[in-house]
Amino acid sequence: MNQTAIEATDLFKTFGNITALNGLSFTVTQGEIFGLIGPNGAGKTTTLRIMATLIKPSSGSASIFGLDVEKNASEVRKVISYLPEEAGAYKNLSGWEYLEFMANFYPLDKEAGQAAVEEAAKISGLGERLKDRVKTYSKGMNRRLLLARALMMKPKLAILDEPTGGLDVVHAFHVRRIIQDYAKNYGVTVLLSSHNMLEVEFLCNQVALINEGKIIGQGSPQELKSRYGAGNLEDVFMEATKLG
Amino acid sequence: MVKGLSNLINKEVKELLRDPKIMIGMVLMPLITFPLMGAAMNVSTSTIQESIKQVSVLLLDKDQGPMAQSLLLAFQSMNITVIKTSSSTVDEALNDLQQGNSTTLVVIPQGFSQNLTLGLKGQLVVYSAYKSLSMAEGIKSSAVDFPINLYKNALVTQAISQAFPNRDPETVLDPISVSNLAVVKGKIINVSADVLKGVFISQSMGFPMVIMLLLISAMQIAATSVSIEKEEKTLETLLTMPISRLGILTGKLAGSVVVAAAGAVAAMVGVNYYVGSVFTMIPPQNVSMEDLGLTMSPLAYGLLGVTIFVTIVSALTLAIIIAAFSENVRSAQSLVGPLNFVFILPSLILMFADIEMLPPPLQIVLYAIPYTHAILASKAAFMGDYFTMLRSIAYISVFTIVVLYIAAKIFTTEKIVTARISFRKRGLRKPLFKQPKLPEAYVPTAT
Repeated sequence: MNQTAIEATDLFKTFGNITALNGLSFTVTQGEIFGLIGPNGAGKTTTLRIMATLIKPSSGSASIFGLDVEKNASEVRKVISYLPEEAGAYKNLSGWEYLEFMANFYPLDKEAGQAAVEEAAKISGLGERLKDRVKTYSKGMNRRLLLARALMMKPKLAILDEPTGGLDVVHAFHVRRIIQDYAKNYGVTVLLSSHNMLEVEFLCNQVALINEGKIIGQGSPQELKSRYGAGNLEDVFMEATKLG
Repeated sequence: MVKGLSNLINKEVKELLRDPKIMIGMVLMPLITFPLMGAAMNVSTSTIQESIKQVSVLLLDKDQGPMAQSLLLAFQSMNITVIKTSSSTVDEALNDLQQGNSTTLVVIPQGFSQNLTLGLKGQLVVYSAYKSLSMAEGIKSSAVDFPINLYKNALVTQAISQAFPNRDPETVLDPISVSNLAVVKGKIINVSADVLKGVFISQSMGFPMVIMLLLISAMQIAATSVSIEKEEKTLETLLTMPISRLGILTGKLAGSVVVAAAGAVAAMVGVNYYVGSVFTMIPPQNVSMEDLGLTMSPLAYGLLGVTIFVTIVSALTLAIIIAAFSENVRSAQSLVGPLNFVFILPSLILMFADIEMLPPPLQIVLYAIPYTHAILASKAAFMGDYFTMLRSIAYISVFTIVVLYIAAKIFTTEKIVTARISFRKRGLRKPLFKQPKLPEAYVPTAT
């Protein structure tokens, strides 16, 4: 039986007068690609940031492979990898130097570190361009580099915020294939958020619909579609928000 | 931890030194501009020196007497070219002055020799023509002063010799000989107060200048190193890596120190060359701090090192705290900029005065600024005043611990991600223009 990768229970998060999360709960099983879908400001990024130990919930609890994100934050960071929606790489480093820098945070010997960087170089598909400074990269190249960084250590949990956000069809296709391969081949659990319903339907085993800081529906894309009698996840979401 | 830290420091140094703003602004600019300024000044001073050598004086001798002749010899003895004008009137001679290359017209009126021979005051009229507003023109115009004064002294000496044949004219003119001796730390040194003053000035200006330059550039670098992570959206990723938040803070501090030290060395090399170029005309002082017995003991060196270390750490931490509240490099540098005042104020004041000389309210202000204590410690190091040094270290250390605690609090909580200064929230900034009434949202009707 698969282990529980994420357990979020009754999460609340407020920023001043704004309530970002309003009693959010969900569970992710190891090896799943779990998608959070919802409109802007629904609480997707806040949820991912809590899981990535960047911010703390105002109340409620969350654990990653049994490690509490607040109490065991440093242990959690050893098993996760986070790709923020608006992430960047160090402009004055080359792509290769960036990957080396990131790999060096992990307690690996020289050969293993080198292997991880070479793995990332393959994932990125940037080839010779990895020798160039990051500031010369296009948005798509940048995103591929960052995704390669996020997956190169084969983390137990990859938290990906809008992994294909702003990418063209070709780059987005490449990124989706990589995510799928890593989940399948290395057992990497993926928690991702996306606005792209087609992408979520294609990638995710499990989907949670999030609106106004809480989950209003959860299941596999097929289950959700039959539950709401909808032809696609976009319609599912619109139906769910009406009912919710 | 050590691997993660060295990894971070290595990246910080690489990233900062590859940033054109930092590389050009803080390392290359001082290294190039100061020597260039010095070279320009050098060319300028050499030109002045050359032009002084070529000074020529136009002479209108209406006296034609023996004293006028001997004055002419005094000019020539100083290698000044004297051109006797053929003009007969002052107006014509002035016209010649403006037309020709001479800078000065010396008019010896009729009766000059006679007056001097009779023991009356002789009269000379010197016209200086300023053809431009340069320093060289001023120096060339005053070139005649020296031979005239020399000639006056010769006349005085001659008069004294005649009046007091048995006395040395020098003794009559300067009857008291003064020997200047300095007592420093109980040791008598045979140097004049003027020479000593020069040594003290160079010494008391040097350290505050270095500290000021180092701190100002280090703070800008530290602020940049944090704010660039926010601006380039790399901070969130870094914060989720398996390295402690305090490790990240330490890496930022250490990386900034390394780059700032490179900047400070570049600035000092540049300034040194500049000062060397500018002051080539001034003879070097032959007295060093060692000659004065003002050498630092190994303990003083050690304590001074500790002082500099805690001072730099506190300044960098302060900059990092401020940068944590800014969203980009420009706003971080703007916020850190005003802090420079707290380095410049004590540095400037203590370059010229001892703190005890100042009015009590100013003393209190200066004592409250931690960076004052770094300068006080540097002065105390030469005097072997360990109490002042330890007191300074204690004060700066307490301040450093406080700012480090605040920085650690910011880095170990979500503040590092969420903190930002917002003027709008506090109602400090009102909209410049009247806000328009917005229309209702469009509701689509298609199904």
